[in-house]
Amino acid sequence: MTRRSRLLIALLVLLAPALLMSACGGKKRGPAVATGSGSSTGSESGTEQPVDGGPDIRSVDPDSAAGRDFPISDPSGEGGPLEDIHFQYDQADLTDQARAILERNAQWINAHPAAKVRVEGHCDERGTVEYNLALGERRAQSTREYLVSLGVAADRLATVSYGKERPLDTGASESSHARNRRAHFAVSR
Amino acid sequence: MRDIIIGGMSDRFAVPDCAPRKGDEASNVACRTLTEVLRNDLKFESIQLVPDNLMAAIPPQNLDAPNYVDWQGINATMLVTMRAWVTGGELTVEAKLHAVNAGKAILAKRYAGKADNPRFFAHQLSDEIMALTNIGKGVARTKIAFVSNRDSENGRTKELYIMDYDGYNPRRITVNKDINITPAWSPDGRSLAYTSYRRKSPDIFLASIFEGKSSNLTNGSGQNFAPSFSPDGKRIAYSSTRGGNSEIWVANADGSGPRKLTSSPGLDTAPVWSPTGQEIAFTSDRAGTPQIYVMDSEGLNVRRLTNVGNWNDAPAWNPAKQFSEIAYTSRIEGGFNIAIVDFATRQVRQITEGRGSCEYPSWAPSGRHLTFACGRGGKWQIGVADRDGRSVTMLPAGPGKNEQPDWGPGPALQ
Repeated sequence: MTRRSRLLIALLVLLAPALLMSACGGKKRGPAVATGSGSSTGSESGTEQPVDGGPDIRSVDPDSAAGRDFPISDPSGEGGPLEDIHFQYDQADLTDQARAILERNAQWINAHPAAKVRVEGHCDERGTVEYNLALGERRAQSTREYLVSLGVAADRLATVSYGKERPLDTGASESSHARNRRAHFAVSR
Repeated sequence: MRDIIIGGMSDRFAVPDCAPRKGDEASNVACRTLTEVLRNDLKFESIQLVPDNLMAAIPPQNLDAPNYVDWQGINATMLVTMRAWVTGGELTVEAKLHAVNAGKAILAKRYAGKADNPRFFAHQLSDEIMALTNIGKGVARTKIAFVSNRDSENGRTKELYIMDYDGYNPRRITVNKDINITPAWSPDGRSLAYTSYRRKSPDIFLASIFEGKSSNLTNGSGQNFAPSFSPDGKRIAYSSTRGGNSEIWVANADGSGPRKLTSSPGLDTAPVWSPTGQEIAFTSDRAGTPQIYVMDSEGLNVRRLTNVGNWNDAPAWNPAKQFSEIAYTSRIEGGFNIAIVDFATRQVRQITEGRGSCEYPSWAPSGRHLTFACGRGGKWQIGVADRDGRSVTMLPAGPGKNEQPDWGPGPALQ
């Protein structure tokens, strides 16, 4: 793990209680506008109810219609709130397991309307640089199409292929290869 | 017109130690380097050298006026003599090529320049000697571009580098701390087209290596990667997914006027030009597995070239017109190796074996050698082989994972 990602995780750990508190409605500055996590504020219709003498309405970041209440992906390209899916060798078809994960991911994306998701297609080290760049894009596309079929707005999903240029695991075993054949979801606001 | 033809299997070259004209350490060191590098350069070009132990028997003599009978006595037909000295940071080299049986010098050269890289003087002399042979143009002054993670702070970024053809003098080209891959030399040796993720998704950029400038050739629509210059330098071919699926595109060298050449539901990637610029070879899995196809440069008349094996990919067209062949990456018995297919006979010969996965072949401008990268599990190095696959050597390219070599043209056109 890089120093930067450790720092980021430390920051997230430190900030998590604060984020939770604001989401639950602190006494002084409770959010009157529903944040993206929705359920914790009770109901989305309560947007203009004054809470405990706090301000009637809270300003919202214009870039972020649903507030800043979800973790984004580590800029190093790993982690994040969405689980990776994996592929068979030289395949871009989705396995049953991948579909199940994508169904959970689609729910999360739909519950966080401010989140933008970049679907990254990755490959193992076998085969050429050029072919794997094309294969990674095919994996990203088939992943994106399935998310769209589950109701995710297409304009929230970008794709990028990393081919075999960004392995998670630089080992040469089949288990290393299997870890690297993946679609990763980089979440940003 | 010259009356002496050098080369073939008949000539045997003697390259005795360079003589330092002054006894100082700098001149001695320069002379040792000149001798070693010139011998390696000529050996690389498959010139037969007279062994050291035979040369040791030659009596001491004035190398400006050698006693040709002595050299005939050890069956040398060509003799290269060098004198060198360093003065005030400047290296001067005087070199002569003697035709032993004719008893005369047929080439006399004096080079002077900065003393910091004596290797370059030897490369220049090797190329001048090769120009007098019937073997073909030398490659001693050519450069190889490659990709390395050696300067990556997090191990996840890749930059472009260039080095001498023998792996020495690596220099970094890109500095953007992102992923920069698939370098392709322009035919004038002044620029590299490459794929960069600096704008998050892969696009093609052009690095003008002497000016230290970079410009973009594609503009973020889809994934754009794997550029290749036409032999006249006026066009680039590349892969793009801007229509949703990976196809072969061609544009002007500045990226303008992009046109799609292929339309298949398969993945079409890795375009390269024929030496005439009239055809393009590429990889497609339209028939189920990746195979090499050839089409004309308008995208018509597509035909499949490879039929042996279930994975043939990343073609490299031999630029020498006398060798009508394509090198590529082939899955052979579960591993990836470099193979060459002859156009006329469709015979396939395997170049690499037992070095992990080998891929990314690229030809020397002479067409007599090719470079590629071999490795497994994140440890990759750059290799060079002759086109018969008789000799494979790994280059001392330096630290890190070194991959994706592209063999450039001769010295840059000014």
